[in-house]
Amino acid sequence: MLPSGVFFTDHAAEAGLLRTLPQRLWLAALLAALVLLPLVAGAHLIGLLTMLCITAIAVLGLQITTGMAGQVNLGQSAFVGAGAFVAARLALAGLPLPLVLPLAGLAAAAGSVAFALPAMRVKGFYLALTTLAAQVMFPILIIRLPAAWFGGADGLGVDPPTVAGIRLGGATAMYLLCLGVLVVMATAAFNVGRSRAGRAFRAMRDNDNAARVLGIDPLRTKLAAFFAGAFFAGVAGALYAYQVRYVTTEQFTLWQSVWYVGMLLVGGMTQPLGAILGTLFVTLLQEMLRSAGGALLDADVGLQGGAIFAATNVLLGSVILAGLIFEPRGLAHRWGLVVAAYRIWPYPHR
Amino acid sequence: MSADPPLLELRNVDVVFNGVIQVLRGASLTVPAGAVVALLGANGAGKTTALRAVSGLLATEQGRVTAGHIGYAGADITNADPCAIVARGLVQVLDGRRVLAHLSVAQNLRAGAHFRRDFDEPAELARVLGYFPALERLMRRTAGYLSGGEMQMLLVGRALMARPRLMLLDEPSMGLAPRIAQELFATIRRINRAEGMAILLVEQNAAAALEICDHGYVMETGRVVLHGDRAALLANEDMRAFYLGLSLTQARRSYREVKHYKRRKRWLG
Repeated sequence: MLPSGVFFTDHAAEAGLLRTLPQRLWLAALLAALVLLPLVAGAHLIGLLTMLCITAIAVLGLQITTGMAGQVNLGQSAFVGAGAFVAARLALAGLPLPLVLPLAGLAAAAGSVAFALPAMRVKGFYLALTTLAAQVMFPILIIRLPAAWFGGADGLGVDPPTVAGIRLGGATAMYLLCLGVLVVMATAAFNVGRSRAGRAFRAMRDNDNAARVLGIDPLRTKLAAFFAGAFFAGVAGALYAYQVRYVTTEQFTLWQSVWYVGMLLVGGMTQPLGAILGTLFVTLLQEMLRSAGGALLDADVGLQGGAIFAATNVLLGSVILAGLIFEPRGLAHRWGLVVAAYRIWPYPHR
Repeated sequence: MSADPPLLELRNVDVVFNGVIQVLRGASLTVPAGAVVALLGANGAGKTTALRAVSGLLATEQGRVTAGHIGYAGADITNADPCAIVARGLVQVLDGRRVLAHLSVAQNLRAGAHFRRDFDEPAELARVLGYFPALERLMRRTAGYLSGGEMQMLLVGRALMARPRLMLLDEPSMGLAPRIAQELFATIRRINRAEGMAILLVEQNAAAALEICDHGYVMETGRVVLHGDRAALLANEDMRAFYLGLSLTQARRSYREVKHYKRRKRWLG
């Protein structure tokens, strides 16, 4: 729904991502606030937000594969891992960051194609199982490959990146880098949604036979969906490698893949905004519960560490469950309703 | 018929599903360029299977053409890839209102021109809206929320966006109010005349289909049992008794009477 008084006379303006002046201003204000945040925020918060940006990129990729194109992917964490290891290897070889990021993305995307090929034949649960295979095979593959390639079971260490002669060693520099990459990737994800390719993705998800008779090749479309999604994962993995400065197979678990799917579900599968809101919500909730648990432990109220850890997880699960029950279409849908209510105020409905 | 080769020709086509279930048994039919051809028959006669054999969708249901030949515009398209067939200008409108439910009406229409690279999109949209002006105010709506009649208009419009030479229409009147169906058939006829586009129409509503077609084929259990041009079919006594609800003994009942009778019957039933 558009605000009153806004009309479009051409398709380009109507299909634009930012269609009104207030939208542009709010977005600029948000970005400015995020850029200036390190001036006031502590190191812990900045570190948290850096990881949040990285996770959001991976979930944005999952939104393309699973949300737009309807291809279930339980192996996103393995693709993040593939990007991380390739990035670590390339960084050790002395490649600069502007080259490492896209190459890591392409490597992860190329790897995903191998697991996307079964997607031509299988759907739903069966496809979930083949992507699960990617997740299971990933650590075995890395460990079994010669240690000179990816460090085997020991993993690889990574030096801080250097961009244009400046060494991005500090937390703030990494935060700004990850934020910048997130902005670029999010813009790309939003644009995929309104492009010809995005339309083909969604046509295939809605009805694959109807898509076929429109001349949309399911093989190419599914491969493209996996390729795009895993590219995002690979870029996220590269940033992760630079941020953590050390990669091993234990960082990219099935758990993490499930969390990615969970974040997407909570945020809303159908739009890229859902990926961002879901990541924000789940990550902040996790962090809040973790610090609350820590505070409880420090206060020494007679509870044991194990009990507090279990309780925070149960609470986290319950909150996510409640979110899915009360807003099955995700936070992004709720956000859309809020925006619509704001626009038609003071009328209750149009 | 003219001496020109037909636009579409099915010759003795057999279709077998899963390697064991034979649905079409030596079905043959032709669609001349620019003609409207109706394919009639009871449920399960193989009408939709015949359309899917042409559009290449059989493979998605583990079916394939095991014998015979399907030719389109001089090329062999037997068991060809659906996307390759669409690119040749042969577009199917599936039964069961398969709009892309989460896309808007405008996006659905644009998806119809997916394989076309260089074309004037606004002009094409305007052309489609010329046939279906009711879609104009629905352009931003989510297609899944349209009414049945609107969906059917959208489906035909979406197929038109591909600028086909031959459109396969599978039961466009299914589940529509009689008046809406009548309007839809009139529009289909208009499109056929204006664009010179051939149409192969599968219908349960034989009377409506025979009103707009040039030729008709009647299928039963996978075979074509009767065919002829419109006048011959309308005069055929079996056709009149089985499909048009006219008896042999009585004179032709008026359409109004038949309608009235059907309506009363539905109420009583």
